[in-house]
Amino acid sequence: MKEEQIVKKQEGKFRIIVTNTAGSYDENNKNDVVIDGSHFGVNSAKMAVDAAVKGRIGNDAGIGKNSAGIAGLNILEKVGIPGAAVSSMSAKIGVGMSTWDTGKVSTVNESARKIGVKVGMTTKEAANVMFQAALKKAK
Amino acid sequence: MNVTHEEHKIVKQSGKYRIVIADSATSITEANKNDVFVDASHCGLNVGHYAVQAGVKGMIGNDAGKGMEDAGVAGLKVLDEKGIPGAAVSAMTAEIGVGPTTYETGVISTVNKAAQKIGVKPGMTAKEAAEVMLQAAVKAGK
Repeated sequence: MKEEQIVKKQEGKFRIIVTNTAGSYDENNKNDVVIDGSHFGVNSAKMAVDAAVKGRIGNDAGIGKNSAGIAGLNILEKVGIPGAAVSSMSAKIGVGMSTWDTGKVSTVNESARKIGVKVGMTTKEAANVMFQAALKKAK
Repeated sequence: MNVTHEEHKIVKQSGKYRIVIADSATSITEANKNDVFVDASHCGLNVGHYAVQAGVKGMIGNDAGKGMEDAGVAGLKVLDEKGIPGAAVSAMTAEIGVGPTTYETGVISTVNKAAQKIGVKPGMTAKEAAEVMLQAAVKAGK
């Protein structure tokens, strides 16, 4: 899906980018920590896995039935990608810049927890932790 | 429009009009212009725009718990601006991201004015609401 991706940070080949939808991810995002306004369900996580991103932050969509709104965190976990979801009360779902500006992390996967991403962090803090981890791993 | 690839399941057809199911609204294209599109995306602003661009006949998505400033259903107003019926199912009745659950178990929590006008009501199942939208499209097409 054609949708703008805003670069928020860049160091070498690694970037933090912000976009409205996980549907915009492709192989050009393989060195990126990606921030979006999508829910963190199974399908959006597969889009991030297919693009092999370095980390992803999305929206928990109120978590919902069978915790479907964060079910994608496990999909990322299976391939060792750090993932975190912000509370749907802290950011407007569908609006990537809202995830970035006001999002507060409600849920993290094990890969994110291991590198220091914690529940309660702002999106910016969590994204920076993922970004630094990607840089460190590449050294 | 560049879209994510996803197979759409057709669950009903009447003439050129159809009810189709998909996981993601990012898979909507102009090929869906005669469809009532049932998906498992939130009904946020961007999703409303994808549906309007494709010119669908109706749309049912997930309310994503509504959330901050009701962003989870903000796209229903975008549909209303073009007179397209739109409805969202409660995030507690269907799994967001999984299209068939919207259709099979979803219960409508929120409708826009265009949907209300043709008889779609909160409390209906997604199946009932999709049928109302399909019949309205068939009628309008005659």
